[in-house]
Amino acid sequence: MSILGRNAAYNRSHRVATRASTIALILGASTLATSAATPPTALVMAWNIDAISTFDPAQIGEVVTNEIIQNTCDPLVDFDTTDETKVVPRLAKSWDVSEDGKQITFHLQNGMKFPSGNKATAGDLAWSLQRVVKLGLGNAATLTEYGFTKDNVDQMFTAPDDTTLVMKLDKPYPVSLVLQAIAANRVSVLMDRQTIMKNEVNGDMGNKYLATRTECVGPYRLAKWNAGEAVVLQANEDYWGKKPALKQVLVRHVAEAGTQRLLLEKGDIDVARDLTPEDLNDLEKNAGVSVDKVLKPQLLYWNLNNADPIFSKEKVRLALRYLIDYDGLAKTVMANIGVPRASFAQIGAVGALDEKEGQPFKVDLAKAKQLLAEAGYADGFEATLFIGTHSYASPIAQSVQENAAKVGVKLKIERMSNAQLFSRVRGREYQTTIQGWQTGVPDAHGNASRQIYNPDNRIEAKQTMYPSWRSAYFSEDVNKKVDEALFEKDPAKRVQLYHALQRDMMEKGPQAFMFQMYNVAGVRKSLKAWTWNGFRTYYDLASK
Amino acid sequence: MSDPLTAAPQAGALATWLAAPVPASRAQAQAQQFWRAAWRLRYNISALFGLGIILLLLLVAFFAPLIATHDIYAQDLASRLQRPSFSHYFGTDELGRDIFSRVIFGSRITLYIALLTAAIAAPLGLVVGTAAGYLGGWIDIVLMRIVDVFLAFPSLILALAFVAALGPGIENSVIAISLASWPPIARLARAETLTIRTSDYVAAARLQGASSWQIIWSDIVPMCIPSVIVRITLNMAAIILTAAGLGFLGLGAQPPSPEWGAMLSTGREFMLTNWWIAAVPGCSILVASLAFNLFGDGLRDILDPRHG
Amino acid sequence: MAGTAVASTRLPVQKRQSGRKRLVRTVGRTMLSAAATLLGLVTLTFFIGRLLPLDPVIAILGDNVSQDAYNTMYRKLGLDQPLIVQYGLYLKNAFSFDFGDALTSGRPVLEDIGRVFPATIELATVAVIIGTGLGIPMGVLSAMYRNSLIDHVVRMIGLIGYSTPTFWLGLMGLTVFYASLGWVAGPGRIDFVHEFSIEPGTGFLLIDTTLQGQWDAFWNVISHIVLPASILSFGALAYISRMTRSFMIEQLGQEYVITARVKGMSWARTVWVHAFRNVAVQVVTVVALSYAFLLEGAVLTETVFAWPGFGRYLTNALLAGDMNAVVGCTLLIGAIFVTINLLSDVLYRIFDPRTR
Repeated sequence: MSILGRNAAYNRSHRVATRASTIALILGASTLATSAATPPTALVMAWNIDAISTFDPAQIGEVVTNEIIQNTCDPLVDFDTTDETKVVPRLAKSWDVSEDGKQITFHLQNGMKFPSGNKATAGDLAWSLQRVVKLGLGNAATLTEYGFTKDNVDQMFTAPDDTTLVMKLDKPYPVSLVLQAIAANRVSVLMDRQTIMKNEVNGDMGNKYLATRTECVGPYRLAKWNAGEAVVLQANEDYWGKKPALKQVLVRHVAEAGTQRLLLEKGDIDVARDLTPEDLNDLEKNAGVSVDKVLKPQLLYWNLNNADPIFSKEKVRLALRYLIDYDGLAKTVMANIGVPRASFAQIGAVGALDEKEGQPFKVDLAKAKQLLAEAGYADGFEATLFIGTHSYASPIAQSVQENAAKVGVKLKIERMSNAQLFSRVRGREYQTTIQGWQTGVPDAHGNASRQIYNPDNRIEAKQTMYPSWRSAYFSEDVNKKVDEALFEKDPAKRVQLYHALQRDMMEKGPQAFMFQMYNVAGVRKSLKAWTWNGFRTYYDLASK
Repeated sequence: MSDPLTAAPQAGALATWLAAPVPASRAQAQAQQFWRAAWRLRYNISALFGLGIILLLLLVAFFAPLIATHDIYAQDLASRLQRPSFSHYFGTDELGRDIFSRVIFGSRITLYIALLTAAIAAPLGLVVGTAAGYLGGWIDIVLMRIVDVFLAFPSLILALAFVAALGPGIENSVIAISLASWPPIARLARAETLTIRTSDYVAAARLQGASSWQIIWSDIVPMCIPSVIVRITLNMAAIILTAAGLGFLGLGAQPPSPEWGAMLSTGREFMLTNWWIAAVPGCSILVASLAFNLFGDGLRDILDPRHG
Repeated sequence: MAGTAVASTRLPVQKRQSGRKRLVRTVGRTMLSAAATLLGLVTLTFFIGRLLPLDPVIAILGDNVSQDAYNTMYRKLGLDQPLIVQYGLYLKNAFSFDFGDALTSGRPVLEDIGRVFPATIELATVAVIIGTGLGIPMGVLSAMYRNSLIDHVVRMIGLIGYSTPTFWLGLMGLTVFYASLGWVAGPGRIDFVHEFSIEPGTGFLLIDTTLQGQWDAFWNVISHIVLPASILSFGALAYISRMTRSFMIEQLGQEYVITARVKGMSWARTVWVHAFRNVAVQVVTVVALSYAFLLEGAVLTETVFAWPGFGRYLTNALLAGDMNAVVGCTLLIGAIFVTINLLSDVLYRIFDPRTR
């Protein structure tokens, strides 16, 4: 090998390499830099939207789709933007209640049209409500809980004319509760019966058709959905009400919180929905971004399987509550994303204990040890703790695990996908889990009826929509108290009954509630009037 | 390349035995081969460097309790997310635990996974590959189709599927990664076997009446071992990355285990605010994986020059 | 995974036969073995699916469903049938390319794959171009100057490429080049501004924007793709440079190289023109193989870069228990691997003098 030859080759390839890197530099410096601004007529949002699987209002259960449906499909009545316990007119201009409290008559807006061009009538609305019960999917329970059944639903919802909807009730439930729980809920949206039934497959009442589209009346319509990529909403030109200021809503799926933050700081998006406490902390100092948060009716809790001999003991369950470092976690892991809450009724709900009274616990290892000893577990025990994929679940679980170890309770943490976690919990195949539950009702009854009340605890009854059934908790006495509070006519007395029930449940209840979560977002200041409360986000009010 | 034997030290009985031009026994032949290889390694700086890091990792893992400065499970929410300092060399994590101590103990888990996986995958691949290659016919076809099926999955996806099926945890990760990493070894061993089985000494053994299994065991397997060792050493790097990937996706070691991938996964959330939480385990994974790659690469030059 | 041995260790074990007969036989045998592999793949997928502790009914209907509706769907999915019947049904569907609807998107799996696959291919292609463009010169250089500083540096770069956790590198890259320096665009394939101005076409945004003459959008796509592709290409770069190096070392030891040198041909000419030409086919095979391995690297890269591609789709499907999507994706990946392996075999048979 001659040295000369080597050098020649080296020089040649060296030149090539230099040229290549020069080109790369030019590319990097000039053309690749992008201007960062969102379109002036669009709301651009980054959010983890993996959970979307259908847009059928009869089926959807999770937060993201619910928010999208609320902005594309008007319900009968709506939550007031500032006071979520109040309802305001939406599809219904007004309503009156019969004297016995068992019939509500809704008077609808005139001249509504579906995007298909079909006229939208009260008949369509009655059909939409009947459909939810008949399909028996996730949201049927919203109606069956109030006495609607497959057999009676055709008589309970009727439309005497195009703008009148009559709702009959089997019992005189509190009217405010019925309005919140049913009329403001996604089950009371006005769906395009004709178009949907044209696309029926095997008697599914359009369930498959609606998996990828919306056919209803609302300020926006769903223009595009690519699973795990993006949702695009387009303003509805035929909307009966005030037209939204921003013509498009673009929701891009971004799973990583860090990525969302970068996009927000760069101005590539207007709103980021899944930021971490640390990111939020930093963003509060950012001049172009504001951090906006509002409590939502979602509770994070330590779910205990009461069918397990260990957790069937009241004292064990109480002992576990003394292992939760509510304050320490609230200041750190949950800062900006949740507040401590040990009561089943969420802050802000009618009948809920206030923030202080609703969380009386603090870490007390001696007390926990004593309670365990009284329950017959002086030396502690071993149990598993399943958690899902939420970023805060793991640190919370580990914090509890460490405190538990100090009183001899060995918790084995197992992380799994949320789908897997749900399967285990529905089948009662678990000892303990950390998970969330969100009610759609700003009333203590919303959670009392699901978390505490259990219609039938037998394993073969499969009351899987009831978290109380999933944790195998049943008490005749508690069931009676829930009903008693529900039908109490005197509002003040009703509140008293709920207060008593909550205090009782914090001592004896099936689960250990931990935190109430915030809706929290980083919002660029160029976006104005980002409006939301715990139950609803109003895209149509936002402007630029 | 200089002849390694002439460069070897020529003193003492052992040296003479190792340098004997005609080995008297199989053991001597193998010892000589090993010695020559080890001797040649001294020229390969990067391989030595890799070996050095591996030895260091082993020492760190072994003496972890002595090196660690804090209890790796002790939480202290008041001093969470602290920057690296003299009291916490690598800072603290989201629950106020000492990252330095956790990384030190994490080396145990990483080495445990890598070595155990290698110990499962290498023999499995070796047996399947040599059997298929030597026996040929239907056995070969069936075994190789199975290998093809496994190879047709990207290994992370395959491991992901197995872990999802078996449930998360270190042991299950080991099983899943082993299941995903034996096929390339089987394929390699088969290819080696094909070249060996036609050689004269195999024919001689056959004429002497040795059974197929005897030949595979005593004539073929030993010949395949060098390239398999090279392969598995290089694979260890991939195994470490796959294990970290599983931990990263939440399917590997479970909290509060200080597994590097899991630590990295937690740190990901703090990339922009507290970079060291991700950087420390990230660099640890990089260093460990790089060490095995460097060492494996050097071994390959020596033991298995054909595959350069 | 460092899959270096796939092509290079396949040694032919065929006896000499007349050319044409041999070809027919070879092709027939290869097709058969490919079919067997696919069958095995489908079977493995089925059993993995059965093992997953996930409930497909809940994956479809959600967590909050009445038992009544649950049972109906359970029967509709055929889960009440004996396992062997389910397997038969599954085979039948799989081989008629009917993978059903993806449970998580409600759309036919094939349609979903058609949408996400171009994103991954585009990313992988750019990554391969980067990896090849840098990897081959690096490999050749380090073979030419074996054991020199260049060689060590190149090998080190390659090994670091093998050894770095992609997801970590990705986040670091985003922080530096997107957040701090602002040289490249952020996660995703394209800015929202452009996303809706492009007519749906091939699904490859670089091609679509070129065909439609939307140069702003084209540059935007480039600025989005360059970072994830570079990071993804690291592994390919390592693989390609390493293999090129070893092929070249083998060639440079051949007699003709010495002859050429003796005859007075320049060293550079010998290396680049003669030696390199002889390894070109092998290098092409390696590039093809690295393509396949990029599919795997894409899983984590796509997660970090919010890239709406195939790797992420498959991971999500696995985690959500969406069996239909998993089967469709698995078969596709399997088919790609089998095809690439076949191709590399064929290339070897055609070009490798020892097998001729």
